[in-house]
Amino acid sequence: MSDAALVLNDLTKTYGERTVVDRVNFSVAAGSIFGYLGPNGSGKTTTIKMLCGLVRPSSGDAHVAGFDVETQSSRVRRAIGYMAQGFSLYGDLTVAENLEFYGRAYGMSASARAARKARVVEIVGIGAYMQYLSVNLSGGWQRRLALACALLHDPAVVFLDEPTAGIDPVARRDLWDLLFALASEGKTFFVTTHYMDEAERCSSLAYIYQGNILASGSPDEICSLPDVTPAGTTRYAIATDDVMETFRRIHDVAAVREATIFGRDIHVVVERSVTAAQLGQAVDIDPSRIEPIRPSLEDAFVALTRKADAE
Amino acid sequence: MTELFDFSGMGAVIYKELRQILRSPFTLALAIGVPLLQLLLLGYAINTTVEHVPCAVYDEDRGPGAQAFIDGLAGSRTFDVVLKVTNRQDLIGAIVAGKVRAAFDIPQNFTADLLAGRDPAIGAFVDGSDSAIAQVAYGSAITLSGIPLRNLTAAATTPFEVRPVVLFNPAMRSANFFVPGLIGLVLQNITIMLTALAIVGERERGTLDQLLVTPIGTAGLMLGKLIPYVLVAALQFTAVVLGLRFVFGVPIAGNIALLAILSLAFLMVSLGLGLLISTVAQTQIQAQLMAIFILLPSVLVSGAVFERSLMPLPMQLFGYVIPLTYYIEILRGIIIRGAGVAQLWPSILPMLGYGVLIFVMASVRFARTTR
Repeated sequence: MSDAALVLNDLTKTYGERTVVDRVNFSVAAGSIFGYLGPNGSGKTTTIKMLCGLVRPSSGDAHVAGFDVETQSSRVRRAIGYMAQGFSLYGDLTVAENLEFYGRAYGMSASARAARKARVVEIVGIGAYMQYLSVNLSGGWQRRLALACALLHDPAVVFLDEPTAGIDPVARRDLWDLLFALASEGKTFFVTTHYMDEAERCSSLAYIYQGNILASGSPDEICSLPDVTPAGTTRYAIATDDVMETFRRIHDVAAVREATIFGRDIHVVVERSVTAAQLGQAVDIDPSRIEPIRPSLEDAFVALTRKADAE
Repeated sequence: MTELFDFSGMGAVIYKELRQILRSPFTLALAIGVPLLQLLLLGYAINTTVEHVPCAVYDEDRGPGAQAFIDGLAGSRTFDVVLKVTNRQDLIGAIVAGKVRAAFDIPQNFTADLLAGRDPAIGAFVDGSDSAIAQVAYGSAITLSGIPLRNLTAAATTPFEVRPVVLFNPAMRSANFFVPGLIGLVLQNITIMLTALAIVGERERGTLDQLLVTPIGTAGLMLGKLIPYVLVAALQFTAVVLGLRFVFGVPIAGNIALLAILSLAFLMVSLGLGLLISTVAQTQIQAQLMAIFILLPSVLVSGAVFERSLMPLPMQLFGYVIPLTYYIEILRGIIIRGAGVAQLWPSILPMLGYGVLIFVMASVRFARTTR
């Protein structure tokens, strides 16, 4: 366990009758990028806030960088960086002033501040904007500044709550490249996201739904879970010109367990006894346009969510 | 609880707040200009009527004549005898300390002189601090000369004279009473508003969580938020005191350094009150409404506009709950009557007590809601 940056042990948060996070268990290896996924309101942010010491757990415990989040919260705070959802810096301060403030907040000496500021400015490449008011920066640069502030005190673990929400694809890609570079130097990142392509790039994942972890592991492990493609079934992608018409017909096929539209494709899970040819005949699609596929992460999450809802 | 008194990060917060304040010079100018403007507007606009003026009596005569006069005084609508003192010095002292607004000095041979028809005179002192009271008390004191002294059959109609003297504000200028009170009021209003938004503003802008994951302690954050605004409030105080002296021409009788120190203490209390609001309110709008909720009654019961000794008892008691009440006593005491710590401590102690209480409450409340 010594190389685990985070260990959650039955971590639970209840507000009155409502259980927002329900006995969550997982651990995150140091130096990895951990993706924490789930729909809005599923308990992602509450989990992060418990791990950062912003919210007190109702029961269970968690260790971050080796420190207990409840009893050693001040040591946890020095060991973590946190980038909140949305723009969480001072818009009426310049880039330089925001960095200066966080440097002082961590009690860094003037020389340490200067050195670390220079370092993080170089890492995120924000040097040209130092005198800009941060409210005037584009979304991508605001995120980079927030990352710079979160990295300033050289934390071992960095929490990023939807770091790429609302920024353009190029800025999104750049930010992820930065995370990989930093992770390779040993930092651990705990990232929430709704983007599946980002989830695919994580070294491990956990999927939380209504406060419960439905699955955790590497993206491959999650995709090959038995719940995602139940025994005795096969997953096909059907290419069609009339998505809605085909989708309706699919629902009339008794052997189809599940169907989801992806653009001009429909992904279906059918009983293995049914061949592609039989399926094509049933929905009036040429069998050449029906291919067996490996489930994507999105397929996996959809399947897991439906199963949880059914229960 | 250990986290509550964690002052770390205070310097960082002070740095940030000062930068933010200086970033918008217009807001700063407004914050300093508004109290002065309010002072000017209100200072020319207020007047009131008077009954039940608390007064003290020094009865050196101890004869039936003096007793008859005191009974007559107590029976009048204008005066309430609240204090009997045993020497002439205490008589003036009671006015300086703000315990009474008028004082009567009945000389040694009053009854004898009265019975002998020698036209005795009673000395009356009227506190000029509140011009409205002073005028009525002055007028009433003169008319007391004519009141028939019952139970004094021999001299029932013998004339005697009451000679009133107005202390401290001999011209009985209304500005001298109102403007010091208004100083307290306008300073309270602006300072509460300044900090009422301090915490809830960060909460609404989403910057609070980012702040709370740092090692900044609760007390460090609270004081860090407070201190920069104390500097702003000190400028406001300077502006209104200059207005008091040079626009309204009110002389400052007491020690200006004492006035400044106690004012600074009050400003911290008031800023702390704003901070407390800020930790309770969920949104900035809520914070503003709560601030107004405190401001309105404090206009009425603090004594800033209406003389407290003339209010019904429940209102007088309500006044003790508001820190401004004590500050206004201090302001009038120093500016008009030249009072010092020796006379003002009954106001100074509760005011400072409130300051500590409010700060601890704000910190506890903040720690409870966030960590």
